[in-house]
Amino acid sequence: MSILDVQDIKKTYTTRFGGNQVKALKGVSFTVEEGEYVAIMGESGSGKTTLLNILAALDKATGGKVLLDGKELSGIKDRELAAFRRKNLGFVFQEFNLLDTFSIKDNILLPMVLNGGDLKDMSEKLEKIASALGISELLDKFPYEVSGGQKQRAAAARALITSPKIILADEPTGALDSQSSEDLLKVFEKINNGGQTILMVTHSVNAAAHAKRVLFIRDGVVFHQIYKGDNSEEQFYQKISETLTMLRTGGER
Amino acid sequence: MKMGFYFKLALTNIKKNYRFFIPRILTESGLLGCFFIIFTLAQDERLSKIRGGSYLPTIMGFGSVVISILSFILVLYANSFLMKQRKKEFGLYNVLGMEKKHVGRVLFSESLISSVSAIVLGVILGVVFYKLCSILICKLLEADIILGFYFLRSKNVILSALIFLMMDFITFIFNRISIARMKPVELLKSANVGEKEPKIKWVNLILGTICLGAGYFIAVTTKDPLAAINSFFLAVLLVIAGTYMLFVSGTVFVLKCLKKNKKYFYTKDHMPAVSGLLFRMKQNAVGLASIAILATGVLIMLSTTVSLYSGCSMALKKSHPEDLYLSTAYYENGEKIMVPDEVIIDIAKNAAKEHDLSIKSIVVQEYGGGIYTFADGKLVSGLMGEFTLDFSKLMEFAIITEDYYEKMCGKKLSLAENEIAYCPISIGKKTFTDKLVMDDIEFKITETLDSFPVTNTGGSIIKSGGIVVANEEVFEKLIKIQEEKNVNAPDVEHRVAICYEDRKAMFENGFAMEESIKASLEEYIERNGSCVRDYMINGVWMDKAEMNGMYGTFLFLGIILGFVCLFSTALIIYYKQISEGYEDRVRFQIMKKIGMSETEVKKTIGSQIILVFFLPLIVAGIHVVFASPILVRLMKILLLASDSLFFICLAITFAIFGVVYILIYTGTARTYYKIVK
Repeated sequence: MSILDVQDIKKTYTTRFGGNQVKALKGVSFTVEEGEYVAIMGESGSGKTTLLNILAALDKATGGKVLLDGKELSGIKDRELAAFRRKNLGFVFQEFNLLDTFSIKDNILLPMVLNGGDLKDMSEKLEKIASALGISELLDKFPYEVSGGQKQRAAAARALITSPKIILADEPTGALDSQSSEDLLKVFEKINNGGQTILMVTHSVNAAAHAKRVLFIRDGVVFHQIYKGDNSEEQFYQKISETLTMLRTGGER
Repeated sequence: MKMGFYFKLALTNIKKNYRFFIPRILTESGLLGCFFIIFTLAQDERLSKIRGGSYLPTIMGFGSVVISILSFILVLYANSFLMKQRKKEFGLYNVLGMEKKHVGRVLFSESLISSVSAIVLGVILGVVFYKLCSILICKLLEADIILGFYFLRSKNVILSALIFLMMDFITFIFNRISIARMKPVELLKSANVGEKEPKIKWVNLILGTICLGAGYFIAVTTKDPLAAINSFFLAVLLVIAGTYMLFVSGTVFVLKCLKKNKKYFYTKDHMPAVSGLLFRMKQNAVGLASIAILATGVLIMLSTTVSLYSGCSMALKKSHPEDLYLSTAYYENGEKIMVPDEVIIDIAKNAAKEHDLSIKSIVVQEYGGGIYTFADGKLVSGLMGEFTLDFSKLMEFAIITEDYYEKMCGKKLSLAENEIAYCPISIGKKTFTDKLVMDDIEFKITETLDSFPVTNTGGSIIKSGGIVVANEEVFEKLIKIQEEKNVNAPDVEHRVAICYEDRKAMFENGFAMEESIKASLEEYIERNGSCVRDYMINGVWMDKAEMNGMYGTFLFLGIILGFVCLFSTALIIYYKQISEGYEDRVRFQIMKKIGMSETEVKKTIGSQIILVFFLPLIVAGIHVVFASPILVRLMKILLLASDSLFFICLAITFAIFGVVYILIYTGTARTYYKIVK
């Protein structure tokens, strides 16, 4: 069974006085299997972020449904939503979103603490994840003391620590230099190889080339998708670039 | 560029930053209003002419100095806050191509606009409320309300306006200098420099604990009222220093300890709150300490002045047991002749009738005595060790003869030469039980009396007692030593003491009656062919007018200063809420994104805010509790009626202040939540 099942999602924004309707998503459908690593690409305004917000249960779709591990997101009550997101979803944002009042360690532990985790269990998990992500040395530092790449790895650790069903990453390399981006993408690949499902929205062809499948969104619909298959990273990069060019020039499928 | 442009820019800036400007303008105008009122009260000669009003010029003059200093500090505080929040804006101007002098001009226009509006509003407030305040003063001094308007003295308006204009100008100069020193890049960055987790400042922690402990120790242990005056100020300084140091270090210390306790820290309810508080404390410790001190100030000022004022008539009953004392002598050929008691009683009776007062009791008091120093179980006339006035060792004794006692109380004591009857009026009962040594004469106490026919008017600092001796000889002997040793000793007191039935009517008609008594006595003396005379007319109304004047003026000043402190507290709390709001907004959003529900976030933030804002109130409460022993002793000098009265006033003031504080808090919390959302 697929871990994420997106069925005909529509999102229509209505301007304040009800005059114009803007269709951000016009019916997006796709599925993500367990252990997959999917990148979603598209130009600004194509509806990527709207889609991600709906998947993250931060926003509600105006039509269609999203099933996470068989459970429909729109069926969850508002007051249970926060706990549901905390337990089932992991988030990595472009802006890191680390709390400046917490040390790196506490930032990573926060979701577990909120879930009411056991102290011993927490520190074991923290150790494992931190060493896997190469941030063991930084745990006692504060966000302002570490580099952007390190911050993003800490954010990834925070997303991973609750062992979520799926990690949603929104432009995770957007604020990083190329070396840090490369490091982070390697981390993503590593955790994906460990069986973690990842869904990533990105602009960067390079980032998308690390995924196993790329979905292209244009004008509010899934326009195209390509699999990495047996392609090498360079070949996949090439294919993605070509697809993007095609999208831009308005070619048909 | 023309000046009009800068004005337009300044106006839009003020509109845009209304959250900062409006409270600043309001506070400044409130302060100006208070200053104007106090300053004008000090000058209003119609008020200073009323009975008891003579204290107004000095006390209010002092008050206006205090208020202007407080105002200046507060204006600087508000300004520094405003500037901190706007650094980025000024940096942007700079980057967009405005030179620093242009930014300076914008700044000048803004200062001018806010200053002028604050001054205009403040003068209006002052003028409007002045009439109300002068009515209040008349009420406090129990005088008739003065009609008509005095306040529109352009001199006072201009002077008040000038003082505040100067303050604003000085703050503008400060701002201009800080702008000139700033580099544009720094200006742009300054708002979001990374923040370190605060470290425990051990030196502050230790010093602060010592200061606070020492201050409390002095306040609790100082027994001598006169020494209390000096040690009170020392204790105040120590406590202020201790409060600041402990707010900075103690809070961080406690929170760090909580954080070290992993079991406690790593739970849903504690982790976000404790971490948040740690950072909040770093920025807010000084502001919170200031609030705590201001709150303590308000509480102390109001509770002391209210208790002194309201205990006025109770204290009078103590220091002035009978309502009117009369004794008059005149001189004939250099010889002093007392006006006979019967004549005086007649005159007093007539005067009472004339002024519709009924007399409750008339007695002739005859006693000697004075101040004795009590050391090594012996009483010695006068003050031992002339320069160290230790009140706890002094006792005042009234001495009467057995005959007089019998005449007054109708009881024969049958004392032998070396025997006395002793009445411990306010001396502890156990101090003298079987013998009493007075100026090396040892007396045996044969009887302890519950009441004494005369009470000397020592007030309540010095303990007083009374003894009855066997005869005139013993009496004379004791009085002679007292007269020799004690320069301030009164002669043997011989006076007519009168009590009236209706105290209220007595206070109303007392002064008029005093005048007719004086006239009658004058007439009597003239009839006897003399014009050199020696009056003693001591009516309780005179004391009451004096006390009302002094404590009423103090009370009024206490109320106004209380208002000023309240303004300051409100402003500091408000600015804290705003600055926290802007910082918390980011955290609020992050927490929501990583999976905290809105109610959870609200709960953690709410608990932090409540702790932060109620900590000063709690600290103020503790300060006041520790201050109360020394305050009670200090007020003994000022004739505080009773300790419990002070504690009641304190409790009421604290309750009212608490309610106002909560109102300020909820009012500003609304702005906070608006910003966070």
